[in-house]
Amino acid sequence: MTRTTRILTVDDSASMRALLNHALTSNGFDVAQADDGQSALEWLQQNEVDVVITDINMPRLDGFGLIEALRQGQRHRDRPILVLTTESSDEKKSRARQMGATGWIVKPFDAAKLVAAVRRVSH
Amino acid sequence: MNAPTSSPLPVTRLTVMQGQARVSAGPRVEFSTVLGSCVATCLYDPEEQVGGMNHFLLAEPPAGGHEVDEHFGVYLMEMLINEMLANGAAKSRLRAHLYGGANLYPGMAAIGTANAAFARTFLARERITLVREDLGGNAARRVDFRPASGMVRCRTVPNTQAPAERPSARPVVAHGDVELF
Repeated sequence: MTRTTRILTVDDSASMRALLNHALTSNGFDVAQADDGQSALEWLQQNEVDVVITDINMPRLDGFGLIEALRQGQRHRDRPILVLTTESSDEKKSRARQMGATGWIVKPFDAAKLVAAVRRVSH
Repeated sequence: MNAPTSSPLPVTRLTVMQGQARVSAGPRVEFSTVLGSCVATCLYDPEEQVGGMNHFLLAEPPAGGHEVDEHFGVYLMEMLINEMLANGAAKSRLRAHLYGGANLYPGMAAIGTANAAFARTFLARERITLVREDLGGNAARRVDFRPASGMVRCRTVPNTQAPAERPSARPVVAHGDVELF
């Protein structure tokens, strides 16, 4: 039996988390949510996940900090991390790539493209 | 809230169009927009003295619709908040003003009412303090906002001054594109 792909979405906007949740669950994914990088790290200490989708600009711990922490740890160092952000600067995209992000998606997101990307990095 | 004071130095007035969100800490910058059923959100961080304004046409995509683009409040709210954070603001310090959401023409769908309700709900959900609102009614409004001081002036204007409220052409930049590293 095929296991459902589990995704953690990390975004400080409750509305954006709701939209992501709708787009992903309606395509068969199991979705967990965190409202900033710190909450995501705490959740990931106790839970397994197949893909992390994170925003960049967030309170407490931003997306860059989250990527860095996951890549420096043991448990989730190889986990695919997709950055989903309103940022469009090449400098920030380059920084995310250097820190170990798996992909970069500029909001507003297209649900079909997002789902295709998640399927691609999770297999 | 006080009206912007007159200044001996020239003010750079920037129009915030439908589908835009702009942020500045420039003391001579003034954001301006004219609203019918659209809603503009002004956010201000008094400690960092930075502010921003958005201007959205519709609240949220219809049920089942997956496309979330720059016409929708749900995207432009996030765009505005993220720009504020990127410019040094703290979400916990943000203070919000909401303007617009009029229903200019009787008998038409009450888009302005829906936009106003969405904006209030969004701010409550995001725990952003709403300090002033001038929403609803049936008259167009002009809003002038000084982002570095947080001062706002909102006044009604003839409805003929309100921009045509229809989705603008999509920008050349393809949003939602995925780049895998």
